[in-house]
Amino acid sequence: MADSPIVGYADALFSVAEAEGNLSAVEDELFGFAQTFQANEELRSTLADASVPVARRLQLIEDLLDGKASATTASLISMVVSAGRANDLPAIVDAFVDRSAGSRNKAVATVRSAIDLTGEQRQRLTEAIKTSTGKEVEVKVVIDPSVLGGAITEIGDDIIDGSVRRRLNQLRESFR
Amino acid sequence: MVASLVSLMSIVAFAGPASASGESVGSCVAEKFEESLHHHGESDHVTSDDIHHVAHDEAVQDELEACLEAPSPILPELTEIIWGGAAFLILLVIMVKKGFPAVKGAMDARSEKIRADLDAAEQAKTDAQTVQSDYEAQLADAKTESARIIEEARVTADQLRTDLSAQAEASIAEMREKAAADVEAQKAQAIADLRAEVSGIALGAAERVVQSSLDADAQARLIDAYIDEVTGSNG
Repeated sequence: MADSPIVGYADALFSVAEAEGNLSAVEDELFGFAQTFQANEELRSTLADASVPVARRLQLIEDLLDGKASATTASLISMVVSAGRANDLPAIVDAFVDRSAGSRNKAVATVRSAIDLTGEQRQRLTEAIKTSTGKEVEVKVVIDPSVLGGAITEIGDDIIDGSVRRRLNQLRESFR
Repeated sequence: MVASLVSLMSIVAFAGPASASGESVGSCVAEKFEESLHHHGESDHVTSDDIHHVAHDEAVQDELEACLEAPSPILPELTEIIWGGAAFLILLVIMVKKGFPAVKGAMDARSEKIRADLDAAEQAKTDAQTVQSDYEAQLADAKTESARIIEEARVTADQLRTDLSAQAEASIAEMREKAAADVEAQKAQAIADLRAEVSGIALGAAERVVQSSLDADAQARLIDAYIDEVTGSNG
């Protein structure tokens, strides 16, 4: 899934974040930015466009993250974009998150939901996943309105789909 | 040829004696009378008495009467028989020696020629019959061959007709089946399309209803339910 340059970048990001001592915050911020990046077509095409001067792209990142993320996060994203790897950013962030969670002997559970989960819900879901799969996980929530309701959890290759979207799809299948 | 020449010569040679025996009645009477006169008179001078005497002599009258007797119509004179028999014998010998063999040879040659001609004709006839029979055999062969060819052509035509007919029927059946299958497929497709359309409309409506009914509380409840589901899934 992740080829060697992506893993290399993820390792580099992890090393920097760890050295800066704010791994957890950087991890959350990078994850959030990656979600925004994937969801926003304009942002994605601008940052990946080689014809746009690097300085301007970096300025755009700085404007976006100003006051919302740490300087470390902004620097790391700028580094990836200026290296011309903007298109690989989601994969690099995924690898980074896996690497980070792995450093704490945990797996990453990506939860897609129409609304954000409360702290209490996250805690319960973490426990539930541990009970269900036997894995220590860190829950990362991705807001995805297409889920409609409920949630979809991805842990590695395992998927636990309890979304309203799935129910509707099942209903659609039953009509055929 | 030779035989005829010999017979002619013999006739000329023996003409004299033959004619002596054939004298007339008058000369016979004269001769007999003169002879009787000589015997009576003994001299050269003949008197009327002599004549009278002789004329009344019965012996002389018998001789003269003999002259008046007609010659035998059946039995010829002896000399004539002798001459005729001799000539006949000579002629017979010549004929037997020369004539018959020649005639026989000619006859044989002619017979042989006729036989050869007959044989040739027979041979020609046989040849002609052979040729005729050959021709007849060839004709019969030709007739048989032509009949065979016609029969063959007929069989081929029949076969061809049968094949074409079968092919046509098969094609028609195939086309009919295909048409029926097409109709079925189109019907099924139409039904499926219609069902998809209807279900799409219904699901779109359902989705909008769900979206509008999912407020924050409902979302939270769904999340809670999901967490419970995960907990219970393998627990």
